Amino acid sequence: MANVLEVKELSKQYSKVLAADKVSFEIAEGEIFALIGPNGAGKTTTIRMISTLLQPTSGDAVVAGHSILKEPEKVRESITYLPDEAGAYKHMTGVKYLRFMAGLFTSDIEKLNAYVERAKNICGLGERLNDKIGSYSRGMIRKLLLARAVMTKPKLAILDEPTSGLDVLNAIEIRKTIKKLAAEEGMSFLLSSHNMLEIEFVSDRVGIISKGHLMVTGTTAELKERYSAPNLEEVFERVVKENEVR
Amino acid sequence: MKFVNLLKKELSELINAQMIIGLIVSLSLFWLMGNVMQSVTEELAEDSRNTNVYVCDMDDSDVTHDLIKDMESNGAAVNKVTVNGEDYAAALKDKDYKSFVVLPKGFGDTVKSGKKPEILSITKVKSASAFSGMTGGTDTAEALINKYLSVELSKQQGVSEEELKNIESELSVVSHTVVADKSAKISSGAIIGKITSQNLILPIIIMVLILMTSQSLIASISNEKIDKTLETLLSAPVSRGSVITAKMLAAAIVALINAGVMMFGFSAYSKGMTGAVTSDLNVDGILQDNLTTDQAFRQLGLNLGVTDYLLVGVQLFITIMICLAISIILGALVNDSKSAQTMLLPIMMMVMIPWFVSMFTDVNSLPMVPRIIVYAIPFTHTFTSIPNLMFGNTAEFWIGMVYQIVVFAIVMFFALRLFKSDKILTMSLNFGQKSRFKKSGKTNED
Repeated sequence: MANVLEVKELSKQYSKVLAADKVSFEIAEGEIFALIGPNGAGKTTTIRMISTLLQPTSGDAVVAGHSILKEPEKVRESITYLPDEAGAYKHMTGVKYLRFMAGLFTSDIEKLNAYVERAKNICGLGERLNDKIGSYSRGMIRKLLLARAVMTKPKLAILDEPTSGLDVLNAIEIRKTIKKLAAEEGMSFLLSSHNMLEIEFVSDRVGIISKGHLMVTGTTAELKERYSAPNLEEVFERVVKENEVR
Repeated sequence: MKFVNLLKKELSELINAQMIIGLIVSLSLFWLMGNVMQSVTEELAEDSRNTNVYVCDMDDSDVTHDLIKDMESNGAAVNKVTVNGEDYAAALKDKDYKSFVVLPKGFGDTVKSGKKPEILSITKVKSASAFSGMTGGTDTAEALINKYLSVELSKQQGVSEEELKNIESELSVVSHTVVADKSAKISSGAIIGKITSQNLILPIIIMVLILMTSQSLIASISNEKIDKTLETLLSAPVSRGSVITAKMLAAAIVALINAGVMMFGFSAYSKGMTGAVTSDLNVDGILQDNLTTDQAFRQLGLNLGVTDYLLVGVQLFITIMICLAISIILGALVNDSKSAQTMLLPIMMMVMIPWFVSMFTDVNSLPMVPRIIVYAIPFTHTFTSIPNLMFGNTAEFWIGMVYQIVVFAIVMFFALRLFKSDKILTMSLNFGQKSRFKKSGKTNED
């Protein structure tokens, strides 16, 4: 399968901190790749660089054939990004928000309507979509934002902590939606999460990042075998501690 | 002990670098205001004890010579002024005094015949500020002439000193006002009054326009940052230029709507106010056979034409653009709702200072340091634009506009660079404190 994303030695230096150090990985079409790591490891920085929000200090990433350095606008046509703890415009109704966001991806009214219809079906908020977002619960907002992120059928959906702060039922629903979209529509996902159970359940491959270095990548099964660990949580612990000792 | 613990926590939240900077800014503002007021009050005090009297003796008679001697014996330093015909403007051109008294031909004969003589009071008005029509020297001259005449006429008519105290003014004063190279037969008070009532609304509209525009744009950018909707927006297939242009335009439209509504409301209010004031003062009645203020305005060239209003409009537009550019930078510095409120403070200062100063005095009359500070504020030139055009200070108007364009270009350059860089997401004004993002465990470097 062709790669939707190829990250090539991406680095980001803030004034004092090297937040990402030559991070390289790739994501194939229809693949769900999870980037995991402790707080401050460089996950969000890497994701923001791929989303063209931050300028890399060095390296490049190619999304659907477009370089984030040379063609950032083309990259943005191929991706959607759901930031961690992201909000939505509270004064808008759910439907208006979806129409507004769809309008940033297309000027064709038929396409726009199709995107909105798709988002309506995915989020499952029904009549509540006609209410102001300010009246939504956290779970409802997250569902709305996830629907927004996938309504345009992007080649790559980048979701930073997609289920953070949600109750178990809402989190399960969102994970199922992600898996379904990847399997049935061939959509690729780049996720970041602290929830190892979620990662084991939802992702095809995992990358563990620590102090800006991408330490290891592989399927959950491969990693468990390599580190002789019963679960991903232990793999994570060993990888991060090994990096701290170095 | 527990209470002290609580109090310490509350104080540490309230007493921070932002508050200290606010205090320093307030102190600086008071210092500047103090300087302005000191210069105004000094000018007022100097004007009130002004014994330097400027007199044009056109009569050149024994009576006028005697009058001038009497004035000098009463402590006045009488300076002779020469006027060519009725060209009063030329007599005041490039002079350090701005008013004088004319003793017209036939003054002495009128006094000798026991009638009430007439003198002319000439005053130059340079700006629309409240104290620009001060005429201390002339007032002194008028008082001394009046005193002399009272004594002289009383002697002629054999009036006792006791009766003299009850005699009203023996002097009839005809006021002339000079603006640039033109003069009109009207008192400077009537001119200043009319300008003040006409210009009452404009500074308020400028203030509303600037504050509303800034507040909307700062709120728009800071809310997007705080709610993390900005990241979503900037990752969509639209250019950052479009995002910021839409924000700037929306803020400008909202500000214009607000300004329009305010203008309508204030014009109705001021119409009522000035109507009442004018009728109370009976300004038109005082004018009697003098010109009406409208006629005087035309004669003095104080009426603004279509081109002038267009120029003022252009300057207002540049002002809004400067304000939007500054607001982008301030909005980008916000990292929580508390700092969002603080961000309006610098703009408020930049509006309040020129408004306050231009209301009370002519900026040019300030001491050097405050004058440089006030002129460095780009909004000052908006407040002074109409007075500059009215009083024919076109060079000052154009210098102001060019300065504003330069300021806009510089600030906009930095604002766009900021919005198109990483800094729009990573920059914040923390003053050494941990940012909201870091506090939540989600660092910018994560």
